[in-house]
Amino acid sequence: MKNRIRVLRAEHEMTQEQLAELVGVTRNTIISIEKDKYCPSLKLGFRIARIFNVDINNVFTYEDDKDGPLSDNE
Amino acid sequence: MKRITYLTCSLIVGCMVAAMVGWSMAAGNFLVPVIAIPLGIIVILACRAHVDTVIADERENRIRSRAALRTLEVVVIAGSIAAIILYSYVVSIPLSPIINGRLSVNDDGTQSMTIAEYKPGSAPGPDTLVRSTTIKDLNAMNETEAMAYCTYVREGFRENESRGLAGMIIGCSLVSMLAIFGAFYLYYDRKY
Repeated sequence: MKNRIRVLRAEHEMTQEQLAELVGVTRNTIISIEKDKYCPSLKLGFRIARIFNVDINNVFTYEDDKDGPLSDNE
Repeated sequence: MKRITYLTCSLIVGCMVAAMVGWSMAAGNFLVPVIAIPLGIIVILACRAHVDTVIADERENRIRSRAALRTLEVVVIAGSIAAIILYSYVVSIPLSPIINGRLSVNDDGTQSMTIAEYKPGSAPGPDTLVRSTTIKDLNAMNETEAMAYCTYVREGFRENESRGLAGMIIGCSLVSMLAIFGAFYLYYDRKY
């Protein structure tokens, strides 16, 4: 799962701390999401998209990983 | 209150409660834990309510749940092996001390018995002798001699019994843990 959170944050001049506070998670979670190490829940994904006033598809892009589309290796 | 302050408070309260419970157990005062433990929980919950930042989010919860599951797997496997090994000491004869009893007829026709304890796993002999005692008249055994006899018999199994007890405790702990895990699993399975 790829995401554009870093780009959107830069466009909105928002820090990781501020975004974390707005969506109700820790800064570490935002860092992990930006690094594609953690795949957020749908709820958090929609919350992030709403903060940036964009559609969720503009934030997250699903890509089949090497283990297949049903893998759960986040 | 920041998260680090909350964690520090929790640690201090936890240490204080542990110290109080430890002291009360040593002093034989069982009323202190009944008061201290709920009081500690209340203080920690009050601190938690005053935390203005996010303590645990979905990522944290997922990590914790996975960690708990892995811990459970490791503890169950390691605990099962430890329990079996420790319990096997109960039935392990070569590791218990060798206790020999030898009967002999005295000059006046009475029977005497000499009981000797040898080192575990060794051939009985003067070099491996730990201690011995003689009951002069077996048929007129007094209380002291009977106690000594019982002590020898008991001594032969004591070490292994304590290991076996440790094994049983581990085994029972594992069973309890699995039962609790099973109960929570069923609860969350129905809830979500």
